[in-house]
Order: sequence, then structure tokens, then C-alpha cells
Amino acid sequence: MQINSRREMLRRCGAGFGSIGLCSASIASQAIAGSSNQAMIAGDGLHHPARAKRVIFLFMNGAPSHVDTFDPKPALKKHEGESPAEDIAGKNRAAGLMPSPFKFAPHGESGVVMSELFPQLSRHADELCVVRSMHTDVPNHEPGLLLMQSGHQQPTRPSMGSWLSYGLGTENENLPAFVALSPGLPVVGPQLWSSAFLPGQHQGVEVDTNQTEVDQLIANVRHPSMNRQQQQRQLQLLRQLNAEHLAARPGEASLETHIRAMELAFQMQREASEAFDLKQESTQTRASYGDTEFGRSCLLARRLVERGVRVIQVFYVKGNQKQPWDTHTNNNASHEKLCADSDRGTAALLQDLKSRGMLEDTLVIWGGEFGRTPYAQVDKKKNTTKQGRDHHHTGFSMLMAGGGTRGGLTYGATDEFGMHAVENRVHVHDLHATVLHLMGIDHKRLTFRFSGRDYRLTDVHGRVVNDLLA
Amino acid sequence: MLKLIKRIIVALLLAGVIIGESRTSRSEESSDFFERKIRPVLVEHCFECHATDSEVVQGGLRLDDPALMRRGGDSGIAVLPGQPEKSLLLAAMRYEDIEMPPAGPLDQQIIADFETWIAQGAHDPRDQIASTSSAKEQINWSEARNAWAFQTPQRHQPPPVSDRHWASNDIDRFIQAKLEQSGLTPNPTADRSTYIFRLTFDLTGLPPSPETAQAFLRDPHPQAKQRLADQLLSSPQHAERWTRMWLDVARYAEDQAHKVGNNGSLTYPNAYRYRDWVIDALTKDMPYDEFIRQQLAADLLYPDNSDAHLALGFLGLGPKYYRRNSPEVMADEWEDRVDTVCRGLLGLTVACARCHDHKYDPIPTADYYALAGVFASTTMFNRPLPDAATGNDGQAKKPEDAVHIVRDGKATNLNVMIRGDVNKLGKSAPRRFLTILSPAPRPLETKSGRGDLANAIVDQSNPLTARVIVNRVWREFFGTGLVDTPSNFGTLGSKPTHPQLLDDLAVRFMENDWSLKWLQREIVLSSTYGQSSDVNQKSVAIDPENRLLWRVPRRRMSIEAYRDAVLAVSGQLDQQVGGTSLQPDDPKSQRRTVYSEISRMDLNPMLARFDFPDPNNHSAGRFETTTPLQKLFLLNSPFLVRHSDALAERLAEQGGSHRSRIVHAYWLLYGRPPNDREISLGEAFVQAGDAATWSQYAQTLLISNEMFMVD
Repeated sequence: MQINSRREMLRRCGAGFGSIGLCSASIASQAIAGSSNQAMIAGDGLHHPARAKRVIFLFMNGAPSHVDTFDPKPALKKHEGESPAEDIAGKNRAAGLMPSPFKFAPHGESGVVMSELFPQLSRHADELCVVRSMHTDVPNHEPGLLLMQSGHQQPTRPSMGSWLSYGLGTENENLPAFVALSPGLPVVGPQLWSSAFLPGQHQGVEVDTNQTEVDQLIANVRHPSMNRQQQQRQLQLLRQLNAEHLAARPGEASLETHIRAMELAFQMQREASEAFDLKQESTQTRASYGDTEFGRSCLLARRLVERGVRVIQVFYVKGNQKQPWDTHTNNNASHEKLCADSDRGTAALLQDLKSRGMLEDTLVIWGGEFGRTPYAQVDKKKNTTKQGRDHHHTGFSMLMAGGGTRGGLTYGATDEFGMHAVENRVHVHDLHATVLHLMGIDHKRLTFRFSGRDYRLTDVHGRVVNDLLA
Repeated sequence: MLKLIKRIIVALLLAGVIIGESRTSRSEESSDFFERKIRPVLVEHCFECHATDSEVVQGGLRLDDPALMRRGGDSGIAVLPGQPEKSLLLAAMRYEDIEMPPAGPLDQQIIADFETWIAQGAHDPRDQIASTSSAKEQINWSEARNAWAFQTPQRHQPPPVSDRHWASNDIDRFIQAKLEQSGLTPNPTADRSTYIFRLTFDLTGLPPSPETAQAFLRDPHPQAKQRLADQLLSSPQHAERWTRMWLDVARYAEDQAHKVGNNGSLTYPNAYRYRDWVIDALTKDMPYDEFIRQQLAADLLYPDNSDAHLALGFLGLGPKYYRRNSPEVMADEWEDRVDTVCRGLLGLTVACARCHDHKYDPIPTADYYALAGVFASTTMFNRPLPDAATGNDGQAKKPEDAVHIVRDGKATNLNVMIRGDVNKLGKSAPRRFLTILSPAPRPLETKSGRGDLANAIVDQSNPLTARVIVNRVWREFFGTGLVDTPSNFGTLGSKPTHPQLLDDLAVRFMENDWSLKWLQREIVLSSTYGQSSDVNQKSVAIDPENRLLWRVPRRRMSIEAYRDAVLAVSGQLDQQVGGTSLQPDDPKSQRRTVYSEISRMDLNPMLARFDFPDPNNHSAGRFETTTPLQKLFLLNSPFLVRHSDALAERLAEQGGSHRSRIVHAYWLLYGRPPNDREISLGEAFVQAGDAATWSQYAQTLLISNEMFMVD
């Protein structure tokens, strides 16, 4: 592709007034651009060599309970029913400290401790990097979700996936760089994969995993009545007409861009249809992930990363429950069910990535927008048999695996009751900085000029947590 | 390395001081304690964010300078010698209110050392070194006013040109002079079929009908172009097309980005009434100053004209964020209002000054809060429609019974929020207009101050408002503005390519009663606009970006124009003006794209895919991306499939030979006859002659490059 001016370059890379430094990368990585120097950028990262080439973020909508999963707190048993030190009397029907009924044990050579709710995942303990000292700003879903996905509480900023697409582009020009898999919409909705002020091509492509047929999974991937042969014939005519049009307008580079994009779309029909078709997997493989929305999403995620999709965001949504992990009541029974499903899909994904040698450069993240209270929440009737846990943002856990993270590590700690992260605290901004770092990006240098200033995913915050890196 | 050198210097100086002044051993001990126990901790855990060479000095706190360390940052005194309990530094280390360092609390022993050090007087040997802090730089207002954007625009005599025959009006003389200076010549005049296509699309967003196009080609009248332009400018389709430009500026939407459960209170089923108000105002060519006044303050300026109050949707349909009862969230909302008004109307990035004085433009934080105070004195108002059920506060109970506008709340002056933190209040910032735009202080204190604000914005002496809108309109015709950062005329924005032209147009625009139609007419009748769009290699070599306008750029249609054109040529367009909103990708929706429902929460995927701006923010201008996903929509979407069928049927109704149908299709879609090769390609393709083949042919024409490119 010939670019004969700065303006043209900016337009191609869609950066508008964005930094020139990024443009070469953006151009190379754009779906429409030539593929000559693409691999170089994809492999090397933008600012330093990348440890991870792609990310799969398994997002547990509603927020899992850390004290029931990855952060054992025996003190809760000893002080069961007591009021925590904080003044929570009367707040949201808060009740006393509530121990986890689930048994915790160390696993693998590294002895990563997790609860019995993750029998499959425990076999990958030595791959897991468990952060027990996460914290975020607000204990409400909307701002919490937005902060975790875009680094800001208001719906005005690009999502992490969009930033990564903007910075690194796609490895496969026949597929989008950023895909959001969700069976129906989560709370907040498409803003979670929005490109906001970044050019629209960096927005996550939304795939409704309630659907199982390829045509319904991705909009407009197949013509309703024409077969491929007919479409080929149509495309041939289109090429000829466009060539006539172009011949009368010599030197108009954008026309060639359109012609190329049309060819790519035609390829994409085949490639996307194939990528999203789970029937091509063996029954055994499908069973290992579980035939649930989440299991299918994990399997799809694997198929997509294999084909070069850069970022896959899996949302754990189920039927009409937009945030199943929001266990204000029946915390224990719900976690048993949810974890069983999540455990199977996540472990199968790790297993598959490992056996394909892809875990090394694929970063998998597991977690929710915050954690849940170490104390109980009771319903209006104060029915203690159905106790739940409330939102909790000052300490919670997240997992990472692969992509240059240090396996078998348990990092940071909450206090003895799991109330607050006290040791090696990791804020959401720090997580973002670390993810970008693993992808070969300096979070302080991936910027976009908008509304008079340079924006970045981490705003003016964030630090790379070096201890998490292998 | 630099740090190391600094430390060595400090150590040497320190040694000198100790010897020279023969300090007491007590002092030596204190210094020693500081050097052993305190300084290493500061260096290791604090300087990354709290030293002069930190990338961003967090919280305004510097710990590398003893005086600044004692004074503290935004939160107050960091170290009060002798009083550990009043020293915020220690409180932060203990993770009381503030929690520092962020990576986790330090060892108890370290904290105890700091306590000891402060209790014993916080002796700091660094005091011997002169403080490097400097007083904060003040804005030099008279210098700041010299920036081009803050000088009052003047009429200009167009410069002389050597070729006296090219120019049709003053615009051309300014353009031509620059071209001549650069050794460029304008392109030849576009042929008439190109011109009518371009003009009709630019003014109405629709293609001309074959009859209109053919009549124009035959029209021998010397004023044919003027007559055509006037006719198009007076059509309702003109207002529909230009309304969308304004809605991008106004970040128009019909809901909020979040929804709580099934609560519908954040959807605005009557938002379209604001959109229709804009269409109506543009149809009537409401003067732009009045257009602004009504959108900001119709309730205050015309209390009894309830129709005019629909204009307040400009503010009333703005974003409402989650947790509106909290001060931080309201502060975010005020930022949206300040940003939309200032970038949208004034081309100034005032919102940058929410957390600190603007780094490049003369906009202190106090100016930001002085404007934000106007919006803090304004509340969202769900005005009930007639006969609607209302609550105690006079608001409609249900969203479908309301129009979402604003009204005055309690008049309030805000305090500056230090670093944008709602909990750290600085001085009071009484409501007043931007200092840089007010030769004398201009208070905005009548009630909320919205009316005063509107008047200040459209005051003839305001150097920005007319320039900004003239530039936006210019951009719609030429793809790039005279200033190519349409919402930033500040230091970091671009300078105008033709400053005198911009100023002259801005002044004449105001003199012509702020008439947008006058401005558009002036532009489309210029020779500049009438040029061909051909690429001339000689000119490309001199001015590759065409900033001097040696040609009219060939432009791609917006998604609105493209969808409308598909509807028009397939014979499916419903020309009803105004009314409730529709889903644009629904094959059954036949009204124009401007009537699309615009959602902040879930923007229609067709719009999102085709570069429609995120309605959560003011949009300075759209990006233009070309992606395979867009092409998938063209190839396979139910919308295109259905309208391809409709076009095929329309051609069939025409009857006649394959050839005559093909010729008709070219006139219909492209406003020209096909050439021989195009005819033979078409004939070969439709040879089978069945409906399906004709549909495929029709679709090919609808998705070819010619369909969405305007020459």
C-alpha cells in the first residue's frame, strides 16, 4: 500500500489526531492494510518484546466470592457470626462474619491453594498466577464493570480490548481483532467492548453465544439465498465494475482500499463460518468444555485465538441472568453450581492451549468486577439459611495464566478476614498496566489524542506488577 | 544515574555543612537517622510518584524537598515536626484514610522509624540545599489574547490574483491567491452531471432523481446553478441532512448508557421531539445565534413558549451517569455539559481544566468551575406532556409521558476541586464566562446563568462561535475544515490554512444574520466547490493533502447518505418528515436514516459499524474506516437483500430490453448513462433473465464503489 501523505496515513490508521508513533503499527495491523510487516509487529509488541500475543478474559459477571474460591480465611470460622470490625451495622442487611463451607487445599508442586469448587482447574495449579490483593474503587456493578473493562467508571472510554486492537491490530485480517462473546447482554452491555473515541473498527465484535448456528452467531456472515458460486459470480462483476470506476479516477487510493476490503469480506465469510462452527470439534472436546453457554464460549475462544484473534472477552451471562455471580442470597449453593461450570470450561481451555503450545503466549485472565463480603447478607426476613454475600471492592482475587505470567504464584494478601487487600496491593489500573506490558505495550505510551488531551487505558494511574511476570 | 549524582552532591554538601558549622552531635545523630532510616525509604517507595522528576507528581505532594514535604500536597500538611499524629505522611503509611505506598503497607518497623523521626522534630538535612521549587506560573493574559483564535475576526479584502476569470465570489479569491502562491492551479470545472450529484448530496443527503438531473443538464439558463441550489436549500430534505451534523455535535441520544434492572426511566421515547425541533429550526433557517440561545436557555428567555423549550433537549438528553446521588458522579456530568458546550460551540477544550489549569490554553481551573457552576445550578427536568400524570416535583412519572429538558435548580457557585477531587475544595469559583473571552469579567449570575452563558457565547464580540460553526459547515463540503481540528481551536489545535478566508466568512456570516443557508449557498456557488475531483499528479506533488483545495476531494458518503440513497433508488424511500424513531437496519424501515433511534447503551450495529460516533461524547468529526465487516453488511444484510429485490422489481416495471433496463439503472443510481463495456458486462450477467439474477445485479450496482463515492 502506498501512502503519500501524513493525512492519508492518519486517515488509514484511523487515528485522526493521534500519535504518529503509533501509526506505523496501526497501519500495518489494520484489517485492510497489506500484510508485509504485520507479523513483525504482532510478535514484537509495540514498545518491547511481547510475552503474550493474545488475551482471553473470562469475566465472571456479578463478582465471585474470593473467600469461597481462592482466598481461604480460617478466621471466619473462628469468629463466625461476629460483627466485623468495620461499622456495617444495618448496611444492606449485613449480618455477621460467614465462613466458607468449602474445603481449601494446596495443589501442584507450587502448592497454590484453592477451594474444592475447582477440581479441574486445580490440576493446572502450577500454571496459575493467583492475585489475592486486588482492589477497585466502588462496590457497584456498573462503575465496577466499566472500570475493569475500560479503566474508567463512566461509559466514555475505550475498552481494554479496543486499546489492544488499536495498538496491535489483528493477526488475521480475515477475522476481527477483538471479539466479545456473551450469551445475551451483560449488565452495562456493549459499552463494555466499546471503542468510545477510538475509531470504530476497534470495537469488539459482539457474538451472542446463546446461538449455536454460525449464521446467527455473527451478523451478515452468509447471504440468505445466494450460494457461494453465485456470490463468486456477483463478486466477479463487482470487481469489473469497480475496475471501470477506478480506471476513470486514476490516483484515488481510497477506491483500492474499498476493493481490497470487499475481497477480505468475501474471504471472511468462509473463514469466520469455519471459526465459529463448533460442530467441527469432536464430541469429546465439546463435552470437556461442557455444553453450557460458558463452556461453548471458552471453546469458541480457543478456536478464535488459534486463528489469530487478538482479544477475546468472554462474559459469564446465563439466560436472563445478566450477572449470575451476584449472589446476594444463596451464596454457597450458587457458587457450587457456578464454579462447577466455570471450572470445567476454564480448565478445558487451559488444557487445550497447553497441549497446543499456545499457553506460553496466550494470556488467560479469570475474575469479576470485584469480590464479595466476608460477612453474610440476609434477606428481608432475616432467613439465615439462604445467606448471601454483598458486593466487596477493597480486597478480592483474580487469576491469570500463561502469556508470560509466573505460574504457581500466589501474590498479595488480604487481612485475616479477607476484608481488605493489605499486602502487595494490585489496583485494577495495575492489572491493566500489567496486561499491556505482557502484550508488549508500555501503558504510559499507548495514547490517543481526544478532546484536547492524550488519553490512555490507565489514565494517570497504574504500574506494572513485575512480581507477576515469569 | 541522575538521581545517584544528585545524592552524591547532597552528601558532599551535607558533609561541608557539618564540618563548616560544627553542628552539635545531636544534629549529627539526627542527620544520620534521616540518612539511614528515612531517606532510603523515601527514595525506594515514594519518589516514583512524589519527586520533581516523577512523571506525574501525584496528589501535589513532593517528598524530595523538605519544605514542600512539610507543606504537603492536596490533602494537607504531610509532616508536622514534633507531632506525628498530625502528620498525614504517617497516617498514609498506616493506611488510615490515604493508603501509601499503593503496593502495600510498609513494615511496622519502618513506620515506627518515621514516627520517631517526626516526634523528634523531623530533622531534615536536605534543608541546607536550596529548594528547587518555583512559584506557579501565572497566565499572561495579554500575551494569551494574541493567539489567532482569540482575536476578533475581521473582514478582509481578498488578495489580488493573476487569473481574473476563475473566481466566482470572494471565497474563490482567497483560495486562488494561496494556490497561485504555491504554484498550483485549480482543477477544471466539474461536468454538470458531477456537479448536480455532488450538490444534491451535499445539500440534501439524497441523489437527484433522473428527471431532475436530466432537466438540469439541459437547462440553458445562466443562473441554472443558483436556481438549483436555492431549490435544494429550501427543501425539507436539506434540513434533515444538516440536522445530523448538529446531532453529532450535540451527542444526541435517546437513552442512557446504563439501565438498572427493567427500569425504563433512562430511556427517552420522546427524545425525537428535540431532533424534530432541530429539523424545524434548520428548515426555517433560524439564525445560528438564536439556535444556540434556545438550546441553552429557551426556558429562561421564552418562559411562555413551550415549543421552544424542546430545544433544551440539547442539555436535557445529555448523559446521566450511574449513582447520580454521589458528588463525584455529578461532577462527571458537569464535565459532559462543559465539554459539549465548549468544544461543540467554542472549539475550546475547557474540560481539560477540571483537574489542573489547562496545560496549553489560557484556561485556569477556576474558569472551568465557573462554567460548571452554571450546570450545577441546572437540573434535568422531565417535563410532562399535556394530561400526563405528574409527581410532587411537577415532573412526569413515566418517561413516555415526558420530554427531557432542563430547568433551573438552586443557583450555586462551585468551589474549585483540587485535582478534580470532590473532597478537596479550593477557592470559590463564582459563575462567570471564560476569562480569555471576556475583556471585562462577565458574570453568569441571572438565576442559573444559562441565559447569560448563551448570550456570552453568541455575542458578536466572541471571536470563536462564528468561526467554529463556519468551519464545521465548510468541513461538510470539503471533507476537511479550514481548521482541521474542528473542536479544538486552542494551542494544540491546527492553525487555519486560510485564516483570512475563515475570518471573512465568519464576519459575513454574522452580518447575514447568522444564516446557515446563506453560508452554504455562498460555498456551493463558489468556483472552488465547482472544481472537478480528479487527481492531478502535478498538484499532488506540491500539496498531497489538498489543503489548498486545488480539487474538490472525492468523498465517501456517510452511512446516512448511503442508506438513504439505497432507499431512494430502490423506490422505497418514505419522505415523511419528523416523527418517532426507527431501526435503520430493519429492512422494513423506509424513512431516512436521520430518524434512527440513537442509543448510548447499545448503538445500532449498522451505525456502529459505519463510523457513527459514540453518542456518549461530543463528536468533533467522524472517522472514516474501511473494513471487511462493513462489506459483509453490503454483501449479506437483510437490508441490502431486500432493497436489491426492490430495485430489481423497479427495473422490471420499467420493462423493455435488458439493455434499456441497465441504462435506466445507471441513470437512477449514478445519474449518468453506462458506457459500452458496462452495458455488455451487465447484459452478460443478467442473461438468464430471472428475478434472482436481476436482484443480484441490482445488489452489485448498490454495493459498487460508485454508489457511495461522491465525485
